[in-house]
Amino acid sequence: MSLPRSAVVLALSLASSLAPALARAQTAADGQWTMPSKDFAATRFSGLAQITPATVKSLHPVWSFSTGTLGGHEGQPLVVHNTMYVVTPYPNVLYAFDLTKDGYPLKWKYRPNVDQNAIGIACCDVVNRGAVYAEGKIVYNLLDGHTVAIDAASGKELWNTKIADLSKGETTPMAPLIVKDRVLVGASGGEFGILGWMKGLDLATGKIVWTATNIGPDSLVLAKAGTFKAFYDKGAQLGQSTWPTDAWKKGGAPVWGWLSYDPELDLVYYGVGNPGPYNADQRLGDNKWTASVLARRPGDGSLVWAYQFTPHDSWDFDAAAEMVLVDLEVKGKLRKALVHFDKNGFEYTMDRATGEVLVAEPYVHVNWASKIDLATGRPVLNEAKATGASKGNVKDICPTLEGGKSPASPVAYSPVTKLFYASTNSMCMDYAAVQTAHLQGTPFMGINSPYHAGSDSTNLGAFIAWDASTGKRAWEIKEKYPVWSGSLATRGNVVFYGTLDGWFKAANATTGALLWRFKVGSGVVGNPITFTGADGKQYIAVFAGIGGDWLLLSGDVNSADPADVRDPADFARDLARHTSQGGIVWIFAL
Amino acid sequence: MTHLSSRLVCALAIIVLAASACREQTDVPATATTGGASENALVISKHEGRIFAGGIAPPAERVSNSAAHDAKAADEGASLFTSMNCDGCHGGGAVGAVGPSLTDGRWRYGGADANIYRSIAEGRPKGMPAYGGVLQPAMVWRLVAYIKSLPPPKDVSTEAW
Repeated sequence: MSLPRSAVVLALSLASSLAPALARAQTAADGQWTMPSKDFAATRFSGLAQITPATVKSLHPVWSFSTGTLGGHEGQPLVVHNTMYVVTPYPNVLYAFDLTKDGYPLKWKYRPNVDQNAIGIACCDVVNRGAVYAEGKIVYNLLDGHTVAIDAASGKELWNTKIADLSKGETTPMAPLIVKDRVLVGASGGEFGILGWMKGLDLATGKIVWTATNIGPDSLVLAKAGTFKAFYDKGAQLGQSTWPTDAWKKGGAPVWGWLSYDPELDLVYYGVGNPGPYNADQRLGDNKWTASVLARRPGDGSLVWAYQFTPHDSWDFDAAAEMVLVDLEVKGKLRKALVHFDKNGFEYTMDRATGEVLVAEPYVHVNWASKIDLATGRPVLNEAKATGASKGNVKDICPTLEGGKSPASPVAYSPVTKLFYASTNSMCMDYAAVQTAHLQGTPFMGINSPYHAGSDSTNLGAFIAWDASTGKRAWEIKEKYPVWSGSLATRGNVVFYGTLDGWFKAANATTGALLWRFKVGSGVVGNPITFTGADGKQYIAVFAGIGGDWLLLSGDVNSADPADVRDPADFARDLARHTSQGGIVWIFAL
Repeated sequence: MTHLSSRLVCALAIIVLAASACREQTDVPATATTGGASENALVISKHEGRIFAGGIAPPAERVSNSAAHDAKAADEGASLFTSMNCDGCHGGGAVGAVGPSLTDGRWRYGGADANIYRSIAEGRPKGMPAYGGVLQPAMVWRLVAYIKSLPPPKDVSTEAW
């Protein structure tokens, strides 16, 4: 792929001005968006700077396109070679828009055949978290357990590989990552008692090269003696010994979040979701490596290190949120860090070479644990908030099982401010676990009233700026509803996010002053991007279309099915005044 | 569509169906399976909402809930609703989550006992699993009794703020 000279110059000047260097293999021109999280480090930061706090007030919509689908519009578009690629929620149409022509008409669209049974097996709405571009191919997952590679120029399907099994409760909404010739994918199904895994496919042919489970014996987890070294946990077979006999075989451990990669260390990082069932009494032990971060070699999948954020998870604290790779000064020393805002309410700053926890501080109100003990890496538990069938209905646990931040709402990092920008939830829950049996293809949860929001404030969410060197909040914008969009940070020092009631917003990255907003027609649960148009101007793009977990929780925002009529959620009784489901791609410019 | 049209259909049928399908149907104790019928028999349960080509209802076996008059049936169905993981998709109390609400008085595939029975036993498009392979009919009927016991709200069509 040849780069325009100006882009190369820009990239070089950025690299030299942003010392210490970021951990990103940045070969693409900054005016493009070729992978889900912008770069391998998952920063969601763009070097584009035409839009600034001074100019953003004239930001306005220049284009919109209805995707023709309802269902939560999570994920983000790609922009490569003046083409915008959009993957819709089920049925996972891939649109390719020509950004050089007036009105951005389609070059082509690809309409895969996706099994509609996936609709009922996907726990959390029929979302898709995006595609990835490499070597002339657009690669993404269909909800029903297939990964497809499409020729980026012609729209022709190059390969279609079945990676997951719907009948086992596996679905595949996550966005793949491509590292050299390896396509990395995983499956959802923590609510269905799957045996969670990651797979590495060959980019050219789509063939499955390796499969690594996240739980179970070392032979399946690919934890090899001499290669695998966890910072805090000693011994072998940890993925098996921390479960009752055979419980790991239906132990969940899904992969539904974001992947990042450090090319110097040659490590792919990802978070593993919840253990199954939700009734923790049925799986005594730490249940490794659920609710953990794993670091693997992309070539052969071997596990290099692992750390568990929430041992014996009893609250559905999936660790699927992004692992952002930045070099940060911590306690006076520059560290190769990994930053992760966990569902459990703690932000972790870790050494990404070894898995040591350097900083761990709550970024929302947390009461299931008082702190993370940095000597052991383990949470100090509040026994009053432990759950399980034996404990009945445990009330007022904070945060909720939606997390202090959802993994579906990825953060952005700005090397200009050295701050992270996160969409957070301020809610608490009651949790009543019950005994349950595993029946393949049906939910394996064991939870009677999983969710009841209680909150000590009228603001159910906030968009925050956070210093991960010290574990402190820099500023916050309180929001009426939980904030569920991803974040975008730019060198122009403007950050972007969207709200459930359908506002797309811009704020000053340093001060948190709200600078601009626009009502985009449906709640925002996707991730904004920015790119350079064919005319050299900076553009912002975002999806509108409420859904994801929020579709399950908000009751009455669905208008399209006369046979499915629900009460409003008791903690957000008037959300449906502001949004129904929708599906629109928006592009804004100055 | 009542007994009269069933008889008409029986009289007019050119396709050979099982003799049992043309019997006068009242309350057949329900195994909604073909018990006793010939291999070629199709058991079609009536769906009031359907439109009939030619205005003629196909031969139908009227099936109803053997557990309907059993006071404990709905309670047992409530336990099954949890133990068979129905609440994992339809939400506790069947208010809707991944799967649609079962308490709103609205039905995609029909709300008659037999329709709900078939939804559970045979599954439905868009991911409702078929439980007929793991649940005895008597258990399915208890689930039907539970679901039918959930009172739909008085007014579901309009929200006024």
